[in-house]
Amino acid sequence: MATKDSLKTILGNANVIDNPDVLASYAVSHSFDKNFKPWYVVKPKDAETVEKLVAFANETKTPLVPVSSTGVKLRGDSVPGVPEAVVVDLSGMDKILNVNRQQRMVVIEPGVTYDRLSAELAKQNMVIAGSLKPKKGQSVLTDIVEAVPRLNPMIQWNFFDPLRCAEVTWGDGTRMSTGEAAGGPLDLKTQWGKQQWQVQYMGPWMTDYFRLVTQAQGSMGIVTWASLKTAVKPLIHQLYVAEADDLADLEGFVYKAMWTRFPDEIFILNNMQLASLMGKTQAEIESLKEVLPPWIVAASAAGRELIPEVRFEARSKDLIDIAQASGLDLKEGLSNLSGRALYQEATSTDGDVYWKDLYAGSHQNVFFLTQLDKTGVFLRAVREIAEDFGYPTEDIGVYIQPKHQGSSYHMEFTFPYDPDSAKQTARVQDLTESVSVAVADLGGYYSRPYGKWAGIQLNKDAQSLMALKRLQKIFDPNDVMNPGKLAI
Amino acid sequence: MALTREFYRALEDVVGGRNISEDPAVTENYRCITAQSSAHYGPEDTRTPKPQAVVLPGSTDEVQQIVKLCNKYKVEFKAASTFWAAMGFIGSDNAIQLDMIRMDSIEVDAKNMLAIVEPFAVGGTVQVEAMKNGLTCNIAGVGCSSSTLAGSSGWVGFGPSSIFTGIASENLLGAEWVLPDGEIIRTGTLGSDGEWFCGEGPGPSPRAIFRGWTGTAGTMGVCTKIAIRLHPWPGPKWIPVRGTAPLYMADGLDNVRAYTICFPSWDAYAEGFRLLYEADVCYLAHRQFNMFGRDIKTALVEIFTHPEKQFCDIPALVEDPYLKEQNADMKIDVQIVLAGFSERDLDYKEKAFDAILEQIGAHKSEYYLQQDIEDFTKLYLLRLARKNYNYTLCSSYEGNFGLSANVFVAAPLMEEAAALKKKWEQTHTGVAAVGGDSDMGSVSGIGGGGTTGWEFFVHFDGFDRDSIYDSKAHIDETAAWMKEKGLGADFGRWNTEVRHPDGYNYTQEEHDAMYSKIAQPGLATYQWKIREAFNPNHLTGSYYKTATPPECKGKK
Repeated sequence: MATKDSLKTILGNANVIDNPDVLASYAVSHSFDKNFKPWYVVKPKDAETVEKLVAFANETKTPLVPVSSTGVKLRGDSVPGVPEAVVVDLSGMDKILNVNRQQRMVVIEPGVTYDRLSAELAKQNMVIAGSLKPKKGQSVLTDIVEAVPRLNPMIQWNFFDPLRCAEVTWGDGTRMSTGEAAGGPLDLKTQWGKQQWQVQYMGPWMTDYFRLVTQAQGSMGIVTWASLKTAVKPLIHQLYVAEADDLADLEGFVYKAMWTRFPDEIFILNNMQLASLMGKTQAEIESLKEVLPPWIVAASAAGRELIPEVRFEARSKDLIDIAQASGLDLKEGLSNLSGRALYQEATSTDGDVYWKDLYAGSHQNVFFLTQLDKTGVFLRAVREIAEDFGYPTEDIGVYIQPKHQGSSYHMEFTFPYDPDSAKQTARVQDLTESVSVAVADLGGYYSRPYGKWAGIQLNKDAQSLMALKRLQKIFDPNDVMNPGKLAI
Repeated sequence: MALTREFYRALEDVVGGRNISEDPAVTENYRCITAQSSAHYGPEDTRTPKPQAVVLPGSTDEVQQIVKLCNKYKVEFKAASTFWAAMGFIGSDNAIQLDMIRMDSIEVDAKNMLAIVEPFAVGGTVQVEAMKNGLTCNIAGVGCSSSTLAGSSGWVGFGPSSIFTGIASENLLGAEWVLPDGEIIRTGTLGSDGEWFCGEGPGPSPRAIFRGWTGTAGTMGVCTKIAIRLHPWPGPKWIPVRGTAPLYMADGLDNVRAYTICFPSWDAYAEGFRLLYEADVCYLAHRQFNMFGRDIKTALVEIFTHPEKQFCDIPALVEDPYLKEQNADMKIDVQIVLAGFSERDLDYKEKAFDAILEQIGAHKSEYYLQQDIEDFTKLYLLRLARKNYNYTLCSSYEGNFGLSANVFVAAPLMEEAAALKKKWEQTHTGVAAVGGDSDMGSVSGIGGGGTTGWEFFVHFDGFDRDSIYDSKAHIDETAAWMKEKGLGADFGRWNTEVRHPDGYNYTQEEHDAMYSKIAQPGLATYQWKIREAFNPNHLTGSYYKTATPPECKGKK
């Protein structure tokens, strides 16, 4: 087991923390799963140190829990699931290692946040496809490696786009790169000198190594840099909005829009999720919820460097026409909702309080993958369960996001609750457990199986579990990487 | 090494007597010339070993039983569907060949834009079914007569339309796979819910070990069914065709345009690619007809588009002043297809395309704007149905160079590569003299652009031993040139890297010598461990690159 002196030898005195208050802060998350306070928090500054740390963990059988984001922990995957763990806080590894306009690539370390990356990319007229209003301290790398859905699914030819290559120290202590980057030396500068920009993410041979760290919750290894594909920043952009009384009314438009690939961003929100996104206080959210339509679909048109006006006009008019043919009125805004304001909120980072916590103080999410034409089934089932638990169905937020150019859809239910109320807390815990099981029974797929979802999902698929066990034995033979997660 | 009667009878019990054979008249047909990169055909003395039996399974259950029997009796196996090249064939005398021809179903889920296909569903058929629903599929460079499943699960899989439709790996959704030890795994949503729409996860994706970039070429068991993403097709439910063989032309595709871009320089070519990637205008982007060679490409297109012309007309056509002028104009060229999903969309794409050409000083080839030739080009590229044309010039070809996937690295080297090839054309009669530059391939080796997929075609006479060996020697020199330039492995060595020139598997010791000293040895040592975990009896040949981890050397 780890000793402080050993860790100090590897990381330096200042980078090994055992202050009880600090340790306690790493044990707090929104998850109801059992959490443990870490023994130490260590803050490596480079990949070489991470490599030494993982080697040490293997020698001493010390559990390591990688953490890259700061602020509230939403899912519990980065909180120790076993005692005597060392949290590896990578937030200080926050260099933007390379920005390449020609290739539209950027290489970042784990601690880089959206605000910093966006500012840096903007200097060269580039953007990274973002997720729905990430928290301020959100690690871009973690967000993407964990496959959090992008607002713009059109950039996803691959399920994990915009992720390309990565450097990983696997659980057995071996440091290597993935994809194209694995064909050369570990040293990125040498690769850049040969104009190798870590663009091609597959293989590079028969095994897709990058797929073993994605959605892995840090259970296979520690990623110390990742290359990401960016897009050209729009010069003209408009997020359009259409409203509907029923979710089913939006289906035809979304399918057709995805078929044409005209939109950039495209997503669906119900009134509660939209109000939470737009409101700044509980009261604002409450009043917005009352006046917003039950459902909206948002879809954007953009013009970039090349004849921006022509592209923007074509995309705008075509999207409006498609909506009209689908019985929807796609507009720049509704009477109480501006498309531009929605875009601003959806693509900016959060304030001091996470946006889903503004309404009641805390929240629980249940999210999974499905297909668009099946979302209604889940909606009905979740509402019925909520009613059974006495939970106000009008407080349930819903977010539906096409992924991978529409081959799958992320569906997310949000249940706000007051964490200071033991009754509400217990109700939401029981409710989300019931919803989680029901969703799985209906065919919802926990591709990112956090907490109890891991057991639910893998119990449905013995062969995948068997394969993951074999793979974990290869890449993390001593089970030092975030043990207790993933139920492997 | 003959099979035991017991094993043979057990196989026969699984598939039935009609679906198994050890008759040499049958098994001899399941040997392949050990081509270096892709496929060349002709009498050569290095063929892959003859399988001890050929088995035609009809279901996943039968495949599983066959694989389990192979494990029990320690007999190697490899499955193939359309048998394009050597990677689909066995590499040992103690092996059987699975021919997947009986499994050919196709189901299309139009609304969710996916197709579920079995091994012998070929690209052309899948595309026909997709087009009925306003959809199409990525057809890999191997052509539409090859298996969609094999291209998607087993080998590289980019093609002319990959800039829009993505490449094989990007389109692979749920997959059903009989592992080398006989267990069945169903990836993603298929494993838990019987749905095909996602092949990733749960958590880290087990599919990581089946696909990679090159694909596992049948070494990770037998893929029996997959779902692939389909992509929008704005044309009619089928492509009307006019003309007489070989001049088939697409008719009435009013919202689909085909152009050939003539670039003023290789620098403009690279910059043009960057702009095409960013503007998302291309439905298809491929350097196609240059595969016949810089000096004769229009002569070949003239023959294809004029049924009365024959190959014996090539010398005269090559000297035709107009065609010479066109060849010069198209010295650095690429074929592009634009497709409009609305009138406004097509208008935008045309304008954006013109703006790109103007920005880099390029122009549209007037030769390819002739209606018949444009319509010929559309059909050729959208279907990629004329793979036989690759062989028409000299009976055989190999791909070499591969250069770099980064067009800004590859483009400045094109003339040097062309000069090296031209030297061989001039000094060795075995390599067809076509003008040096015979570079061809996909403008995009990845969905949306960003990497390319090039190869030079080396045309040679597959019925002439000297020609075959000239082409091999040329490719050897190409490989040395690429090494000198720091460009990595030559595309032309894909088969020679993974099996002996005589067609037999490499041993582990040979693999260790080849792969234990690479820049990042974990690539090969982890694959060794994966093979040990999923293929403990080593029954699928040596296309799976491995190196014994130092800590495991000497251990059983």
